[in-house]
Amino acid sequence: MPLFGELFVSEILRKSVLDPMGDDLGRVKDFIVVKGEPLPRVSALILEKKKDIYRLGWEHIGIFNKRIISARVYTSKIKPYEFSEDDLLIVRDILDKQIVDANGAKVVRVNDVKLEGINSNACLTAVDVGMRGIMRRLGIERRGEDLYRVFGKSLPQTLIRWNYIQPLEPRLTTISLTVPRQMVSALHPADIADIISKVSHEEGVALFEGLDPDVAAEALHELQPDVQKAIIQSLDKDFASDIVERMPPDEAADVLGNLPSEKAKEILESMEKGEAQDIQELLGHEEDTAGGLMTNEFIAYPPELPVMDVIEKFKIDAHDVEIVYYIYIIDENKKLIGVTSLKEILLSSPNVPLSEIMETKLKTVTPDTDQDDVAEIISKYNLLAIPVVDTNGVLLGIVTIDDIMDILLPPLSKKRRKRV
Amino acid sequence: MKYTKNILLFLSIIGPGIITASIDNDASGITTYSVAGARYGYFLLWTLIPITIALIVVQEMAARMGVITGKGLSDLIRENYGVRITFFMMIVLLAANFGTTTANFAGWAASMEIFSLSKYIMVPIGAFSIWLLVIRGSYRVVERVLLIACLLYFGYVLSGFMAAPKWSEVIQSTVIPRVKLEPQFIMLTIAIIGTTITPWMQFYLQSSIAEKGIKKEDYRISKLDVVIGCLITNIIAFFIIVTCATTLFPHNIRINEASEAAIALKPFAGQYATTLFAVTLANASILGAIIVPLATAYYICEAMGWEAGVNKSFKEAPQFMWIYTVLIVVSALLVLIPGAPLILLMVLSSFLNGILLPFVLIFALSLVNNKRIMGKYTNPKGYNYISWGTVVVLITLTTALLIMSVAPFKN
Repeated sequence: MPLFGELFVSEILRKSVLDPMGDDLGRVKDFIVVKGEPLPRVSALILEKKKDIYRLGWEHIGIFNKRIISARVYTSKIKPYEFSEDDLLIVRDILDKQIVDANGAKVVRVNDVKLEGINSNACLTAVDVGMRGIMRRLGIERRGEDLYRVFGKSLPQTLIRWNYIQPLEPRLTTISLTVPRQMVSALHPADIADIISKVSHEEGVALFEGLDPDVAAEALHELQPDVQKAIIQSLDKDFASDIVERMPPDEAADVLGNLPSEKAKEILESMEKGEAQDIQELLGHEEDTAGGLMTNEFIAYPPELPVMDVIEKFKIDAHDVEIVYYIYIIDENKKLIGVTSLKEILLSSPNVPLSEIMETKLKTVTPDTDQDDVAEIISKYNLLAIPVVDTNGVLLGIVTIDDIMDILLPPLSKKRRKRV
Repeated sequence: MKYTKNILLFLSIIGPGIITASIDNDASGITTYSVAGARYGYFLLWTLIPITIALIVVQEMAARMGVITGKGLSDLIRENYGVRITFFMMIVLLAANFGTTTANFAGWAASMEIFSLSKYIMVPIGAFSIWLLVIRGSYRVVERVLLIACLLYFGYVLSGFMAAPKWSEVIQSTVIPRVKLEPQFIMLTIAIIGTTITPWMQFYLQSSIAEKGIKKEDYRISKLDVVIGCLITNIIAFFIIVTCATTLFPHNIRINEASEAAIALKPFAGQYATTLFAVTLANASILGAIIVPLATAYYICEAMGWEAGVNKSFKEAPQFMWIYTVLIVVSALLVLIPGAPLILLMVLSSFLNGILLPFVLIFALSLVNNKRIMGKYTNPKGYNYISWGTVVVLITLTTALLIMSVAPFKN
């Protein structure tokens, strides 16, 4: 049983490994890690002696703790080692790298790696991402503790269990980390966008590709335009169009509007016809007008429809529509003649036709109304959405309050927040 | 059609190189060039050519690493050389940049005094507005404004022409190297190099390129951006030297500060020249005072894995906010305290920069030649000779400066 208890990688790095006679085999340079159940485990130590590199298999290790590491074999038995990209090494591939903390929804750096003895194996159980890890690496953990005590605080342990970690580099996927993938997908899309904006482009793309497509669609919308553009352009065409298809048409139009026209065309072409058409219509409008903001997904029914039929139809139609607080009433020429709310519908008796409960004094805007004016009207009349009509009164789409909020208070991830 | 497309592509990629170059001519840069011109006339002009080449060589490497890895220099150093080296480098960078920030506040104070505005009012206002920028998160907007204001730098070109130098003499001095074997001459030469090629600029350039997410295929455009930037930096430097050399040197006027140069220009080049010089100095100083503390806080936090960001609160990103705040507050206070050892601080800061530069360059070179990181974009063999040559010369010269500033020669 070579390892009992727990230790940190930094505590044994550069330590001498002794053979049964007490002679020096070399110093610990790195650790090879392999997939294990339930946690990855150390399969060999990499030793360095006078510039030569050796591999010492875990099965040959006798004692393994903070003070002593000893082998059951002699120098002649250990094999030279050549660094290979196929191996996963703790120091080379994990230590000091950025990882996603799926629990705290942020990008952190690995300051130290914790090993624990489980069934005589040294398993990788957690990584240290805190101040304590940095101090341990610098060899001043004790002094750090003293310093914190002076201020009446204790130096916190900031460990993340291996289960909650999402490696950024695809190379690390040799170790199975299926749980974190789901965990990252379970994060709020705004948090995912924040993480993506903090890592390098390739890592961002790798992370994005691992997301559930529905989550990816939402996260994409939250990204800042530059990052959004860069990511979409690096994605496979089919994956890209799949994601864009899942976005509400107005958001999809925003994304495509940002892309070079050839790329946008390519994505549109591989999309479903109807969706592509909706988006193309929206793309024709200026970005900062009602036309640019609106979505052409809304619920509209003829005036003679009785409330009970409305409810049945609503249950089918509302699935694909983002905002459903209002039901619009249009005549046979698609001209907007009234509006009613979901609340009104639910409270009305089943046989009343829509024409009797609808509000006919309408607030509307045209596609070229400036976005600030739209915001003002929505705010003044306390609306959740406002219909956009053309000069003949035909309903083209609606601008919803969340689109307006994005203008008034841009989401954090859309602002520049990375480096200088 | 193809041309318009190429031009659009070019415009979308250029920026980081030119921006870095503009910030490179900060208060201490302008001071050094002015002093050099006033003290030695056209004598030092020739040094600008080798400096430009060296600058292009080192910045091109930073730009290439930024494009290929998508990471900043401090990230790469941390990931490849561990926490210990990174930590000490960051400490030195912090100390050196503290000096740079102070120099910029001093430049701001001096230029305000030329307009008879009290530094006791203007420095706190400047410092507070800069600090507020980060809290309010509208830093990008201001950066743009200041960068447009950097066009003012061409005022130096203008004042160079206004000073009506003897162009034949200027050109001769630019292409024919001349050396005076006196300590002050050598020190000024090295000071020009030290103020032009700085460690933090390597970090800044690489981060801004990485952040822009420039693709490998477009790297050659980025390279052009860097080359143009380096040329601009040195053209501005050239004209500052020419201006001071033409007007001040023949009259034997010695100066120690860029603001003195501005005032000294008045009798020879007129009120406009003074105003132009002072306004540009104010702009350069405030731009430096904004970017240096912010960039420092960013590199340190990213290298150490601490939360960083301009729209974070003290609670969310304590290290970032404290580094940034303390840098600004202490630098501004130092400028205001009468009798504070500002000169000593600047010398110390350039000393630290001198210590840091060799490390930064050697790390940069070994990173750029690391196949695991750079793939097929490592330095070609011939190019490696040039870069190592440049780095060795730079290291030798900065070491010489270090020795001289520790044991100054009396003349």
